[in-house]
Amino acid sequence: MGHLASGGGRSPGASLSVPVGGRAKALPWWRTPSVRRYLFGYTLLAPAVLYVGVLVGAPFLFSLYLALSDASVGAPVARFVGLENFTSALETGVFWTAVRNTLVFTVGAAVMKGFLGTTLAFLLVQPFKGRRVVRGLVVIPFTIPIAISVLGWKWMFDSQFSVLNWALSGLGLIGEYGTPDWPVWLGQPMLALASVMFVNVWRSFPFSAIVLLAGMTSVSPEIIDAAKVDGATFMQRFRKIIVPMIAPILFVGAAFDTVFTLSDLSIVYLLTNGGPDGATEILPTLAYNTGIRGGALGRGAAISLFLFPLLLPAMVLLLRTLRRRQY
Amino acid sequence: MAVVAQRAPWSRRAKEIRRHTLIYVGLTPYLVIAVFPILWMLITALKQEPDLYRMDVVPFWFHLPPTLKNFEFLFQRTFYGDWLVNTLSISLFVSAITLLTAVPAGYALARLRLPFAENLGIAIFMTYLVPSIILFIPLSRVVSELGLQDTWWSLVVVYPTFTIPFCTWLLMGFFKTVPFEIEEAAMIDGCGQFGALLRVVLPVSWPGVITSVIFSFTLSMQDFLYSLAFVSISEQKPVPLGVATELIRGDVYFWGSLMAGALLVGVPVAIVYNLFLDKFITGITGAVIK
Repeated sequence: MGHLASGGGRSPGASLSVPVGGRAKALPWWRTPSVRRYLFGYTLLAPAVLYVGVLVGAPFLFSLYLALSDASVGAPVARFVGLENFTSALETGVFWTAVRNTLVFTVGAAVMKGFLGTTLAFLLVQPFKGRRVVRGLVVIPFTIPIAISVLGWKWMFDSQFSVLNWALSGLGLIGEYGTPDWPVWLGQPMLALASVMFVNVWRSFPFSAIVLLAGMTSVSPEIIDAAKVDGATFMQRFRKIIVPMIAPILFVGAAFDTVFTLSDLSIVYLLTNGGPDGATEILPTLAYNTGIRGGALGRGAAISLFLFPLLLPAMVLLLRTLRRRQY
Repeated sequence: MAVVAQRAPWSRRAKEIRRHTLIYVGLTPYLVIAVFPILWMLITALKQEPDLYRMDVVPFWFHLPPTLKNFEFLFQRTFYGDWLVNTLSISLFVSAITLLTAVPAGYALARLRLPFAENLGIAIFMTYLVPSIILFIPLSRVVSELGLQDTWWSLVVVYPTFTIPFCTWLLMGFFKTVPFEIEEAAMIDGCGQFGALLRVVLPVSWPGVITSVIFSFTLSMQDFLYSLAFVSISEQKPVPLGVATELIRGDVYFWGSLMAGALLVGVPVAIVYNLFLDKFITGITGAVIK
């Protein structure tokens, strides 16, 4: 009867080992069904938890340690230097350029992909012929590995043979090659920043659209109809049903995209590597160039940790959403 | 009356056509933005060298016959063959490590009613969001301590840091949908708990297992930073890194073969990922796309 008494939750381990009468008391504690189930369960969990703990948790703590030391590639023994890596980073101009660019990049790109993603989702939610094909084509930028598609963009942004310039020039929107009206996308500071942002938008707007689409289609028409029957007004339906059902989905999507955008190095590294003259320097490229190329592991770790306060809101939002979700 | 009745279906059809036209017109700019860069890469990959550098003719089409020279160049003059083998080997090993750890973990979290299972599951998933940019410097130390610097084995060790969290989460969802009854039946028939997992639960969860393998492959190929930071020897690189770093000599870009090398791997990955994209979205947001 033990399994019935143990409540609504069902688990094969619990429900099958039915202790009968006095025999249950005779079992030593480590052989009781629930302890054996826990042991079994945590044994199954151990490999994954250990792997992630050793290669994500420990390195994260290690990077805190590195950031407080003068570790470098050449010198194996590191000295504790306190907050020097952080303060010296704060004193360099290039660091503040990187912070500013990172913020402009992230916020600007978010606005653009929010707009493109929302409008696209409203189109894709309609029933029409060829919907699956269109969806399959329009998500290609998200599914193709970013380091690969960036190479295509690099070629399209070529200073002389840019196909974009050819088209714009043909339309009369820009001047001829060699004149000041011929944009050199990756060579002019403002244009370079706009270009790397646009490639990020290009990569992510299908994701925004699909996540929004998932949110829209997750609200079943029956619930809306039921609310209508019960006399809910449009605003009530929107506030009490649609927003609470869609919001958690959008939060998770937004958190994912923010983390990707903040931490992605490949677009800027491959297109401009921070140039021209620091115009597209962002924290990831600065951390990479300082830590790996320059060999100053401690300073590189400190710079990458400056990303953490920017990442934190996204992660907290995600955590809260996931904890509220019902499974 | 009769005239109206005859007209009604016509006007409905006209309305449908009008609606479709509006939708297609609205979708066109998105499709062009999304697909043109890939098409342009394809055209570039198939063009002969002199045909790439002409501004006097429409660049969207071939003015010299298309060629496969750029693909030949990849295999004859670069380490592209090695990169392909490296990429495949990395993905295979990463998939194996991921399955061996994520399947038991997902099962335990979903079905064994462990204390703290919910929080533990969320904690594992959250590690998926700790970005490589924060971890690559300490991991470079780990990699060199293990003596794996400059070999693709370093990536086999590192990639599971994001595939395990994602796949554990994904499999947790799959295992929750398997009815408890079949497991109970198996145990009544004499299977142990582990036996029930192997013989009954796994066989009916194969879509989840296959999805995990697919994501181990595609997520491994989305990486750039780890390979850039840990592997600098030409023969040891995976395809994305190799193409991006080895087909440029100083200021000279081999655009044709760059695009050829990029697409040869990029397109298959994009297609496979495309087929499983709904599962990816469901995995992270919990919402099902209809």
